[in-house]
Amino acid sequence: MLEAVSSILKGIGNVVQTNDIAKASPAALRSAQASAGFDGVMEQVAADAIGTLKAGEAASISSIQGKVSAQRVVEAVMSAEQTLQVAVAVRDKVVQAYQEVTRMAI
Amino acid sequence: MGPVYLFDLASSQARWLSLRQATVSSNVANANTPGYRAQDIEPFSKLLDEKVVALAVTSPLHLTSTETSLRPQGTRKEDSWEIVHSGNSVSLEQEMLKAGDINRDYSLSTAIVKSFHRMLMTSAKS
Amino acid sequence: MIDPLQASVQIASSGLEAQSDRLRIVSENLANANSTGRTAGADPYRRKTVTFASEMDRAAGVRVVKIKDIGIDRSPFRVEYEPNHPAAGQDGYVKLPNVNMLIEMADMRETNRSYEANLQVVKQTRSMVAMTIDLLKGA
Repeated sequence: MLEAVSSILKGIGNVVQTNDIAKASPAALRSAQASAGFDGVMEQVAADAIGTLKAGEAASISSIQGKVSAQRVVEAVMSAEQTLQVAVAVRDKVVQAYQEVTRMAI
Repeated sequence: MGPVYLFDLASSQARWLSLRQATVSSNVANANTPGYRAQDIEPFSKLLDEKVVALAVTSPLHLTSTETSLRPQGTRKEDSWEIVHSGNSVSLEQEMLKAGDINRDYSLSTAIVKSFHRMLMTSAKS
Repeated sequence: MIDPLQASVQIASSGLEAQSDRLRIVSENLANANSTGRTAGADPYRRKTVTFASEMDRAAGVRVVKIKDIGIDRSPFRVEYEPNHPAAGQDGYVKLPNVNMLIEMADMRETNRSYEANLQVVKQTRSMVAMTIDLLKGA
């Protein structure tokens, strides 16, 4: 789902303000600043979320197998929650903007 | 620095507290083992100083692990409250006090993390 | 090192077990404080001693504490003059165990104290893990 979102947004262009993203995830914004423009930021946010989700999943599996400490798992899951929340917030903003664009009179 | 640094810091502290708890546990269990000397790990502030020096050198987003310095080491003789003739230097009172400190710090640390996590989640909601 | 909190629980648990065994020996000494031999001139109950040692538990990867061995106290027996006692020797003296009640009682108190301390460590460590997991619960 996140990959689909990032590919759609590449085509839309710079329609959303990046302020909200900056407040929620400064790390994502900083690292995305290298690739100019909005699509860079979107990609980074999506990649961040996917990365932490996979890490969270791996940590949870390890904990069920009894291999890893509770602290590591909790940190991985919390990190996944945070980045996912940011990605969802951005997705909602983008969808909203897309709808506004489609409503524009030609 | 923002919330990201806080989570990393709290994580380091939690790890340090866990290691200290393990040394306290070892001391208490070996309170009657002849020749056993009470152990403790280096203070967290010392660890932070090392990290700050490392931070200045490398990228600000990368916190290096200095866990080699966390290996438990014997307490100095003058730091221990008692040494009995069996050569055992564990004082249960001291260990229980340490345990109390650890518990309080760990409580505070997790409470802070929980709070900031919740704040981050609500601020990211549209 | 494996998860330090998990290690704490294992170490403290080994402490609990060791102190329990120690208490058993102390109780045995106390119970047999006056156990004489059965036949004339026979030796009475000999006080038992306990030695702790720190050992590496290979499976868990932590140094736990164990009772290395249960020894015998070689100090001399008490003697009392009682010629009519079945265990009395030629000279009329009965050999009594080398157990000193006061020492055993003090030992028992110390064992209890150590046991409580180990138990406290187990409880606290469990509470720390619970606090960590709690981070994922709630809103």
